[in-house]
Amino acid sequence: MSLFMLKIFTPAYILLFQEVNDGRMALVWEKAKHPDLSKFLIIGALLFIIGVAGVLTRRNIIVIFMSIELILNAANLNFIAMSRYLQETGSVNAVAGQIFAVFVIVVAAAEAAIGLGIVIALYRNKETIWVDEIDILKW
Amino acid sequence: MVLSGWEAVFFWVFSIAAIFAGLLTVMARNTIHSALFLISSLVSVAALFILLHAEFLAGVQILVYVGGVMVLFLFVIMLVNVGEEESGREEIFNRPRQVTTSVIFCTLLVAGLIYALNVGYDGIQKRDAGTISQTGAARQTADQNLATSATGASKITKGTEWVGNGLYRFGALPFEVASVLLLVAIIGSVMLARTLKQEAAVDDVAPDVLQKEAINDPEIPKIQAAE
Repeated sequence: MSLFMLKIFTPAYILLFQEVNDGRMALVWEKAKHPDLSKFLIIGALLFIIGVAGVLTRRNIIVIFMSIELILNAANLNFIAMSRYLQETGSVNAVAGQIFAVFVIVVAAAEAAIGLGIVIALYRNKETIWVDEIDILKW
Repeated sequence: MVLSGWEAVFFWVFSIAAIFAGLLTVMARNTIHSALFLISSLVSVAALFILLHAEFLAGVQILVYVGGVMVLFLFVIMLVNVGEEESGREEIFNRPRQVTTSVIFCTLLVAGLIYALNVGYDGIQKRDAGTISQTGAARQTADQNLATSATGASKITKGTEWVGNGLYRFGALPFEVASVLLLVAIIGSVMLARTLKQEAAVDDVAPDVLQKEAINDPEIPKIQAAE
């Protein structure tokens, strides 16, 4: 049974960690025990893609806004991971990533306030929150 | 930057939690559930920030996102509550063809991104290996020289001090611009969200528009009479 599970999950590991040349689980396990910068960046990329998929597929405008928050959050994760990496190399610009993340959070808060105001105004006029029914600009 | 021991365990726990909560945010039928899953995803990402030694950003993330933005989201969900979605009568995704296309392209994008990240990370690791081993010893002594906290169990890091210094030295102008942006956001959202009745009450509507609307809404003449 465990061999069967191994056969199923090994391709997933290969896809995730690029162990194409030596598909041995031991090396993957060794890498998984010591996650480095690239793992953080991969998590950021996955969160970003989930947000993009949410924006493209959902019909509810509020969930689309939440997916945008997810995208911005993934960008923040990338900024902070790179900032930590630059701290290790002793770069003078090491804090720039964190400062940028602060501004991303500020802009996200402003965007959420304006966007939700628009949603409320839209609901008052059109009585719908489905994006495929809000098509007054389409011709 | 290589995590090991319990840090690695927490990294995997919180990153898997963040990704699953993000997936459920996109896939949940009930919008309130979506918002709650987004909150748990944001909290997991805040934990990842702590693993990256960005304690200030983790606090800001919890306070601003979870405490501010998500409460706003929950209020708006309550204001524009739609029953068809929860009872399963309405389709929550776009048409199947659109969904298939976007999922295929997202899969391609994620495969390309992961490949590019691995290749690029190998590259910068090769470039920076010398510098990291040089600064490693200096960093360790600097970490040991940090002041201990009152309980003596942990040390007081300088991360927040660095962020504050950098914000006022290099980011002073964007900081001021951000305050103007927040002011614009406050005024804009109030302007967008108020009703015609509220606008009429503060005498902010042209009289002919008001007369036209008064036919539909019996409340407006009463407000005019009160003035």
